[in-house]
Amino acid sequence: MALEHKAFMYRGTEDFLSVTVPYLRSGLERGQVVIAVAREPNLTALRDVLAPHGGAVTYFDSAVFYKHPVHTLRDYQTIVKQSAPRTVCALAEPVWQGWDERQTLEWVRYESLINVVFGESGARSLCPYDAEGLPPRILAEARRTHPLLLAPGHDGANGDYIDPVRFGSGCDRRFSTDRPAGAEYFSIDGDDLHALRVFVGERALRHGLARQKAQNLVTAANEVAANALQHGTPPIGLWTWRDGADLVCEIGDHGFWRPGPDPLTGFIPPDSALQRGFGLWTVRLLVDLMELRAGWDGTFVRLHCA
Amino acid sequence: MDTSWFAKRPVSALRPGDHGWLAYTSQEERDRVIGPFVREGLETTEKVVYVTDLPADRLPGLGRGRPIDVDALVRSSQLRVITPREACLDRRGTFEPAKMADTVARELGSAFGQGFRAMRLTTDHSWLLNGPGADLGRMVGCEHRVGDTVSPSTMAMAICQVDRHACRPAELAALRDTHEVLVEVNPEFDDGILKIVRTFEPDGLRVEGELDAARHSVFADQLLRLRPGRIHLDLSRLGFIDLGGLHLLAKHATRLPADAALILDHLSPDLESIIDMVGWHRLPGLARGRRLAETEGIA
Repeated sequence: MALEHKAFMYRGTEDFLSVTVPYLRSGLERGQVVIAVAREPNLTALRDVLAPHGGAVTYFDSAVFYKHPVHTLRDYQTIVKQSAPRTVCALAEPVWQGWDERQTLEWVRYESLINVVFGESGARSLCPYDAEGLPPRILAEARRTHPLLLAPGHDGANGDYIDPVRFGSGCDRRFSTDRPAGAEYFSIDGDDLHALRVFVGERALRHGLARQKAQNLVTAANEVAANALQHGTPPIGLWTWRDGADLVCEIGDHGFWRPGPDPLTGFIPPDSALQRGFGLWTVRLLVDLMELRAGWDGTFVRLHCA
Repeated sequence: MDTSWFAKRPVSALRPGDHGWLAYTSQEERDRVIGPFVREGLETTEKVVYVTDLPADRLPGLGRGRPIDVDALVRSSQLRVITPREACLDRRGTFEPAKMADTVARELGSAFGQGFRAMRLTTDHSWLLNGPGADLGRMVGCEHRVGDTVSPSTMAMAICQVDRHACRPAELAALRDTHEVLVEVNPEFDDGILKIVRTFEPDGLRVEGELDAARHSVFADQLLRLRPGRIHLDLSRLGFIDLGGLHLLAKHATRLPADAALILDHLSPDLESIIDMVGWHRLPGLARGRRLAETEGIA
């Protein structure tokens, strides 16, 4: 069954409730697993209105649920899988405040990825966008990432929607390829990555990352380097530098990745560690942001941690 | 975790002055420690003294199929097999700690005279713990005396064996505490980064250090050598595992029989957080075992 993924442009709490309450009730009537992820004060308003339904609706605060796009995708996928054979009816209000440009781009891409990850799940997702409070750019992106749209004077198919693969490749093209002149370099040759882990671990702790986060970055960098050793073309190396609050590690090799990574590579949660793609997906979970660029000059994976 | 004042040492790393302790859980574990202890002594022209009722050719490390001339070794006194009656029982057949200490001192003295550069002594005390007139206090006293003879010596090393199932935990702890060195099997693999040690109860491996792509194949080989079943991996000293290592574990687990599993004991917080992050259900066949805090036990 196909996913129903609709953006909803609302103006004020009253307008929000007038659509979301009947939507969630319809989920209950159809026997779906109903979850409501919303920002305050919308969340409290929903709880009050839907109180007669008791525990039939599961509530999450967006501020808790939307912290890291790849984690959020994984969490929604867990809910969908655990709900089977019942389908899921979700109210899903993302968080758009407090992100920098790169993070905003990842959350926009996340909305697009929903269409792929849950494409055949039979789930319904209504994504409220505060038309009064959000920047026009976010509202414009919402129209590009949702096949269905509910806005004043419109309810149905959305002509601005862009296919997730095409959308994702657009996102990837916006990655910076600049590397500061002062970046430290570590050459990766030979198949023993012990010294690389020591190198990254030391930089991570010196940068001030918490121990666990530093260890996660070490695991992520090790994985990308192991991939480069296995599939890439020497010379292979790692650069590391500070970018604002971020510590950045970039691993690059000079191979031409054919047919090349998909814009979805590493975003789709695998069913098990035995599936292809488990490694890169886990890398995306382990760091704040992973950027992947494959071009004629080589393959570069950039890991950001703060 | 091992209590810190004990040194845990693989059998081949024992040195003169070590008064070692082996609480074995199976004959296989005993043989894999005592076998190398006996053989390495004989191969490096050290004197080996074994207090036992077993005949010399049935000692661990000297069984059939071994190209060692046991009779010649006995004739040359390089191998001394002494019965417990001779070594430590009085005329009425009662255990006499002082006699054991005398035996050790006597054998040590003669080894020096015979020109051996070191002496290895081993005996299994299990029978004393359950035999008539069993007395823990006398046992502990005996161990102290043996320790007093061996520890200051520059040429004696000893392993006291006890069947872990032959005595109560309190007895085991009291006896263990009379030794500074806990002896264990030699590692299956150790390249300074990754160390793999066979464990016997529970059945499995202790994996120490760092497991990465360069070491996947040796680790996979060791997993394949284990009897399929509920295999425990003690990961308390595993500082790093790469994602390929997790994949390898899951792959091995899915090939086990349906009622078997790979149980991950003593996960570090870092590793546990990564597995929680990807979800245990993505690692089919892997089960969370005992927690780090629960590991205090009798080594």
